[in-house]
Amino acid sequence: MSNDVAPKRLKLRSKPSRTADKVFFAVAKAAGYSSFVLVAAILFFLMLRAWPAFESQGVVNFIFGAGWNSTTDPQIFHLGPMLYGSLLIAAIGVAFAVPMAISISYFISFLAPERVAKIATVIVDLLAAIPSIVIGLWGLGVFSPVAAEWGRMLSEALGFIPIFSNAVDIFLRSPFIASLVIAVMIVPIIASITREIFSQMDQEIIKGAMALGGTRESIFRKVILPTASGGIVGGVLLALGRAMGETVAIFFVLNLTFDDFNWFKILEPSGGAVASLVLARFNEALDTELSALLAAGVVLFVVTLIVNTIASYIVAKAQPWRKL
Amino acid sequence: MTDTLAQPRPKNAAPWEKLGSRVRFASWITSLVPAAIFVAAWLGLQLDFMAALLAIFLPIQLAFGAWAGFYSYGRKGVNDGLLMVVTFFFSTFVLVLLASVIWSVISEGAAALSPHFIYQNNRYITGTTGLEIGGAGHAILGSVIITGITTVITVPLAIATAVYLTETRDGARGVVRTLLQALAGLPSVVAGLFIYSMLIVSGWSSQVGVMASLALIPLMLPTISRVAEEALRLVPSELRNGALALGAPSYKAFFMVTLPAAKSGIVTAVLLGVARIIGETAPLILTAVIANETNANPLAGGMATLPTYIYNFLYLGDATSLQRAWGAALVLLIFVGILFVGARVASATRVGSKPKRRKK
Amino acid sequence: MSNLNHLETKDINVWFGERHVLRDVSLQFQNNHVTALIGPSGCGKSTFIRTLNRMHELIPTAGLSGQVLLNGEDIYAQAVDPVNVRINIGMVFQKPNPFPTMTIRENILSGLKLSGRKIEDGDGLVETSLQRASMWNEVKDRLSEPALSLSGGQQQRLCIARSLAMDPNVLLMDEPCSALDPGSTRRIEETILELKENMTIVIVTHNMQQAQRVSDSTAFFLSENGNPGEVVEFDTTENVFKRPKDDRTNEYVNGRFG
Repeated sequence: MSNDVAPKRLKLRSKPSRTADKVFFAVAKAAGYSSFVLVAAILFFLMLRAWPAFESQGVVNFIFGAGWNSTTDPQIFHLGPMLYGSLLIAAIGVAFAVPMAISISYFISFLAPERVAKIATVIVDLLAAIPSIVIGLWGLGVFSPVAAEWGRMLSEALGFIPIFSNAVDIFLRSPFIASLVIAVMIVPIIASITREIFSQMDQEIIKGAMALGGTRESIFRKVILPTASGGIVGGVLLALGRAMGETVAIFFVLNLTFDDFNWFKILEPSGGAVASLVLARFNEALDTELSALLAAGVVLFVVTLIVNTIASYIVAKAQPWRKL
Repeated sequence: MTDTLAQPRPKNAAPWEKLGSRVRFASWITSLVPAAIFVAAWLGLQLDFMAALLAIFLPIQLAFGAWAGFYSYGRKGVNDGLLMVVTFFFSTFVLVLLASVIWSVISEGAAALSPHFIYQNNRYITGTTGLEIGGAGHAILGSVIITGITTVITVPLAIATAVYLTETRDGARGVVRTLLQALAGLPSVVAGLFIYSMLIVSGWSSQVGVMASLALIPLMLPTISRVAEEALRLVPSELRNGALALGAPSYKAFFMVTLPAAKSGIVTAVLLGVARIIGETAPLILTAVIANETNANPLAGGMATLPTYIYNFLYLGDATSLQRAWGAALVLLIFVGILFVGARVASATRVGSKPKRRKK
Repeated sequence: MSNLNHLETKDINVWFGERHVLRDVSLQFQNNHVTALIGPSGCGKSTFIRTLNRMHELIPTAGLSGQVLLNGEDIYAQAVDPVNVRINIGMVFQKPNPFPTMTIRENILSGLKLSGRKIEDGDGLVETSLQRASMWNEVKDRLSEPALSLSGGQQQRLCIARSLAMDPNVLLMDEPCSALDPGSTRRIEETILELKENMTIVIVTHNMQQAQRVSDSTAFFLSENGNPGEVVEFDTTENVFKRPKDDRTNEYVNGRFG
C-alpha cells in the first residue's frame, strides 16, 4: 500500500439535510444572533436620545464635571459626583463583602459537615434571590438606624482620621450605609463563584500539602488562596459591576449630592450613585434633563460593560472546567 | 448461627474521630467563655450590641482561638485557631444579616397582611389611610401579567439561544456567550432606559404594562439561556449520537431525546429566570405608570406590580405606608420563595446529570 | 441478499483537522459474516467504524476521502441523505445509551419515531426485536418500566434490540462489551452469532478471544510512530490468529504489544 500521491481530501460538513433540520438550525441561529441585536439596539437607542446632552454639556464635562441643575441657565448636567460615588460605594461594599464571602465559602467547602454545608449553600443562594427592593426596604426601615449608630461610634472613636470625620452630625443616608447594604447584596455573588472554585480545586494538591505537614491555615494561605485568587478577583469584579448598577436599594439609603464630590468622608450624608440619580430625577425631568439621564444610562452601561467583560474573562480563565 | 470470621464493627472503630481530650477541652472553652464574657459585658455594662461585639467579643474570641490552637497543637496551631475564629465569625455574620432581612419582612409584613390586602386595590388610598381597606391585589395581578408576558416571549428565545450554543457549530458562539455575559451584568435601570428611549420617547407607546414586560426581556434572557445551556450540555453526547445513529434528523433527536433528558434543568432555568425578574423595580418605574387601580390590560393604562407598589409606599414614607410596603414585600418574598424552592426541587431531580462532585 | 460484498470501503482516508489518522482502508464486509476490527488503542478502528454510517462527520474537525459502498452505492455520494444511511446501518455504542426518559417499550420503538416512520404493529415489533436480542423473557413483564431500571448488560442488549427494530441490513458494534461483565458479554456474543444469519455485522473489539469467538473475518489495524492508522492484515479470522502473514500481526494477536 504505497502511493505517494496524497489522496484527494473531502471537506466534511454535516450540513442539515432536511428542510425541518434547516429550519431548526436557522431558528437557533437567529436566536443566538438576537443578543447581538439586543446589545446593539440598547447602545443605539440610548445614544440616539442621549446625544443632545453629550453635545450641550460636552462629553468630558458631562462625565467628570460636578453639578446637576435644570433651573439654571444654561442648565448644568454633570455626572462626576454620581459616577465617583458609584465607584466609591461599590468599592467599599466589595471591601466589606469579600471577607464575608470568602469565609463562608471556605466554611462550606472545607470545614462544615456535608449537611451543614448544604444548608449554608441554600442560605447563600437564598440571599441572592431576595429582590433589591426588599433589601432597600430593609435597609431603610431596619438597617439604616442601626448602621447610623455604628457610624456615630466609628466617628466618635476614630474621628481624627479624616475618612471617619463627620462635620454635620447626621449619620443617616451616608455612603457607609449604602455600601453596607450593597455588601449584603453582593456577598452571594462573590461567594457562589468562590465556592465553585474551592469545590473544584484539586484535592490531590491539598492532600499533598497535608502530607507535607501543612496546617489548615498555611494550606489556606499558601495553597487554596493563591490557586483560587483568579476566580475570586473575577467574582469581585462581577460584584463591582452589579454594585454600580444597583438602583433602588441605594436610592432609599443614600443622600444624593450633585454639586460636590464627596471624596472620602464616608460617614457624612452625602454621596452619589448614577443609577439612583436616574430614579431620583426621572419623573420630573423634561427634555434636556431626560436626555442627560439617558446619557447617564449610557455611561453606566459602558462602565459596567467594561467591568463585566473583564470579570467574565477572568472568571472563565479561572474555571477551565466550564469550557466545552 | 454459621461459623464466620466476620465480626461486628466495634462502636469505636474510627480512632481518628476521637478528639484528644486536650482538643475537646480547648474547643469547649473557646466556644463558651468569650460568648459568656460578651453577654455579661453587653448586658452588665449596657453597651451597644455592635460595639460590644466588635470591641469585646471579637478580640477575646480571637485570643481564645489562638490559645486553643496553641494548647491543642502547639505553635503551628495558633494560626489555625485564628482562621477558624475569623471564618466562623464572618459566616455567622452573613447568616445574621439574612435572618434579619427575612425576619423583618415576615414579622412586619404579617402585621399588614389580611385577606383584603391580597385582593383589594389601592383606590382612594393615601399614605396615611388605615390598613382596614386597600391592598396589593392590583399589584399582584400586575406582577403576574407583566412577568407572564416577559416569560412567554423570553423562554422560547432563551432556549433557542441555548440550542444555538450547544447544538450548532457556528463560529460566533464565543461572541454570543460573551454578549450574554455582558447582558447578565446589565444594570436593570439601563434596561428600563432602553425601552423608554426606543419606544416611549419616540411616542410609539405610553408607559403601559407591556413596555415593562419588554424592558425585562434583556434581564431574563441571559439567566435562562445560561442555565438552559448548562442543562443541555449535561445531556451525555452518547444519547444524542444514539438518536442520530437510529436515523433521526437533528431536530427530532433534540425534541425527543435531548430536551426530555434536560427537562428538569430547563424547568430550573425558567424558574430562576422568573425569580430574577419578579423583583425588578427600576425598569418598571421607568416604563409603566404605577397605577392605583386594578388594570388587566397591558396595552393601555398604568399597571402596578409588587416591587413598584413597595417602591411607591416606601417613597411616601408614612407609618402606614411602610406597613403596606412590608406587607407587599412579604407577598413578593413568598413568590420568590416558591420559585426558589421549585427550582431546587427541579434541579435535584435532574435526569442524566452527573452527580455533583463534592469535596470534603 | 446474494451480493457477497454487500458493504465495502475503497481507500478510506480520515483526517481530524490537519492530522491524518487513517490511510487507504479498503475492506469488504460479506453478508452473513461477522467482521472483527482489532488493533491497539488509537489505531483508528473506532474512527473507521463511524465512517461506515456517517456518524464520523458529526465531529467538528472531521475530514474524509474515499468511498463506502453499500450494495454498490456510495453512501457519501452528493445526493445521499445521511439520515437514510443511518436507518439502514444500525449502530451499537461502547457505553449502553438507552434513552433515560423513555420506557423499555418506547426505547424499542424510538428509532421508528425518531426517523419519522409509521409504527404498524408496535407490540409485535417490540416482541420480535427483544426476542432477536434474546431478552424477551427477561423483560416481557416490565415493558413500561424506565429503561434505566435495567442492568448494564440488559441496557446494552436493549440498545441492540432498539437497532434491530429498525431492521437494518448492517449492524455496527463499537466495543459493545467493553463496559460489561463476563456473563453479559457471553450473552451478547450469542446474540451476535444468531443475528449474523440475517445481516452483516462489523464489530470493533479489544478482546482477542472475543474476536476469535464471534468473527469470521478479522482486520488488524495499526498506527506506528504517529503515522496514520492502516490495515496491516485482513483475512479470515482463523488465518489472522493462527497463520498471520505479517510479523506485527503475529506479535499483536499473541499479546506481545497493545
